[in-house]
Amino acid sequence: MNMPEQGLKRDYSHLIQEGKVHSSMYTSDQVFDDEMEAIFHHGWVFVGHDSEIPNTGDYVLRQLGKQPVIMTRDKDGGVNVIRNRCAHRANMVCGYEGENKKVLVCPYHGWVYDLKGALIDVPHPDGYPDDFDKSQLGMVPATQIGVYRGFVFASLEGSGITLAEHLGDATALIDRAVDLSPEGELELQAGWLQHRFKANWKMLPENDCDGYHVETTHASFMHATDSQAMDLLADTDAEPPVVRDWGNGHMEIDFNVAYRSRNIPFEWFGRVPASKLPKYTAAMIKAYGEERAHELSVTGPPHAIIFPNLFLGELNVVFYYPVSANECVQLYTPMSLKGAPEVNKRAIHQTEGAVGPASFLIPEDVIIAERNQSGLSAGGQEWVDLSRGMHREYEEDGKIVSHMSDETVNRGFWRRHREEMLRDHSA
Amino acid sequence: MANYELINELTQFILKESRFCDQSLYSDWESLWTDDGHYWVPRGPNMDPEKHVSHLNDNRMRIQTRIKALNSGTRHSQLPVSPMSRVISPIELEAEEGDEYQVGVNFNLTEMAIQSTHDMHIWAGRITYQLRRVEGELKMARKKVVLVNGNEPIPNISFLI
Repeated sequence: MNMPEQGLKRDYSHLIQEGKVHSSMYTSDQVFDDEMEAIFHHGWVFVGHDSEIPNTGDYVLRQLGKQPVIMTRDKDGGVNVIRNRCAHRANMVCGYEGENKKVLVCPYHGWVYDLKGALIDVPHPDGYPDDFDKSQLGMVPATQIGVYRGFVFASLEGSGITLAEHLGDATALIDRAVDLSPEGELELQAGWLQHRFKANWKMLPENDCDGYHVETTHASFMHATDSQAMDLLADTDAEPPVVRDWGNGHMEIDFNVAYRSRNIPFEWFGRVPASKLPKYTAAMIKAYGEERAHELSVTGPPHAIIFPNLFLGELNVVFYYPVSANECVQLYTPMSLKGAPEVNKRAIHQTEGAVGPASFLIPEDVIIAERNQSGLSAGGQEWVDLSRGMHREYEEDGKIVSHMSDETVNRGFWRRHREEMLRDHSA
Repeated sequence: MANYELINELTQFILKESRFCDQSLYSDWESLWTDDGHYWVPRGPNMDPEKHVSHLNDNRMRIQTRIKALNSGTRHSQLPVSPMSRVISPIELEAEEGDEYQVGVNFNLTEMAIQSTHDMHIWAGRITYQLRRVEGELKMARKKVVLVNGNEPIPNISFLI
């Protein structure tokens, strides 16, 4: 890009500071390469949801950093994340998503792998010597894989920490979504909308929990709709929404505090009256009891980032693939709550309205992000300012909390980012 | 024998509708809809709008909201509006029942994304219209747009497609 990279010392403890970040963190190809290695190959990243592959032989294709992978369901019922590379000549074993498979067969020379990636057969084996060791020639699985309430995470090269350590307290954010199902399970089966745009991938997590941009960037939506979000902000008697840094780079805009203080069931769900969701309400009461079911109906889902690439945005699951320093692909699907068809029918249309390339909200964020990417190349100011709210943020239950418009969450994101970039992965 | 007068009338309607899209004449375009209009861009063919998430799946109320947002003067993703040009194929009258006509066309749309990247985007696919004669005038009851790249990562579609 246009940033002067010659002689730029990529000292991440200098380039990422408390309250400011160097512009090159968004534009430099070298920084991008380092991020892919440290964060997307070594670190824990979201891969998919196990409900996408319910049956043995189901699989989906994903990209983790620069590496294509396959997420499979094996015959023991396990979920695998294996690199999409034939051990022979590196052909992608699966070129496209399709029907359920018994085995994975490379279409180049016909090498055959099982659903865990182990090589089980090669055509015309007489071309190899007797000591040809098939056990060394698999499709190499991720070093670490973990599943939390259906959300599949992996570290391709090994992160040095467990998934539980990576998620920390942020499991509570995932719980907040999954608990909305009377059966305590999500199903992602509506397919993914895919959105390409020309901005750095970090603009996404940084924007998703930015409460400051809403009234300007999304002015057209506020003008066109009767938005519950604006009601929340206008209600001076209600607890205001806040941003909360959950540690480890996980973060949220917590609208739930505001919804809770207003105590209106399903206000978060486009204010649908509870009378329109009778079966769901009954199922929730049966599953959780009257009090807890009411609480869940009032507070609603999270609006949160799980570092580095998962966004739980109300009833949407969103994740992204960095493509280069200047390009990214974002994917969206509605959460289907198992046992809640009344909710799911509406959720799919909320997703269409809110996210995706033709929706009311994200196209605005995309255009701003693309202009932002161009703006970063202008000199004069070397640093991006992320200091908003430093003087007024406070600690609550061990988390840093602040006004909804404050960059507390951006600072939390960057703290983890810097930690990962400085982590010694050679050990 | 084909009814050339009818084919011509349907063609003229579709060409006008396309021009309103190309020129971002939002309110003129909205006036083409029936009261039960459905504007739909699925991710591909053979999708169920109640089961599969679509790029765009507007009932009449949401069409109105979409136009209101576009007319607000703050729809950043269409500021300025994309210069566009679409070529519409000859039409195929796929079905006819009473005052209602199902018409299919292929289209090829060139869009200049002048809001940020200044990239030229090519959009292509097939449109299926449900057109209905209401008090003597043709109206649009349904517009379904199946893109060739609907299931791929695509840029913004905040213009009228």
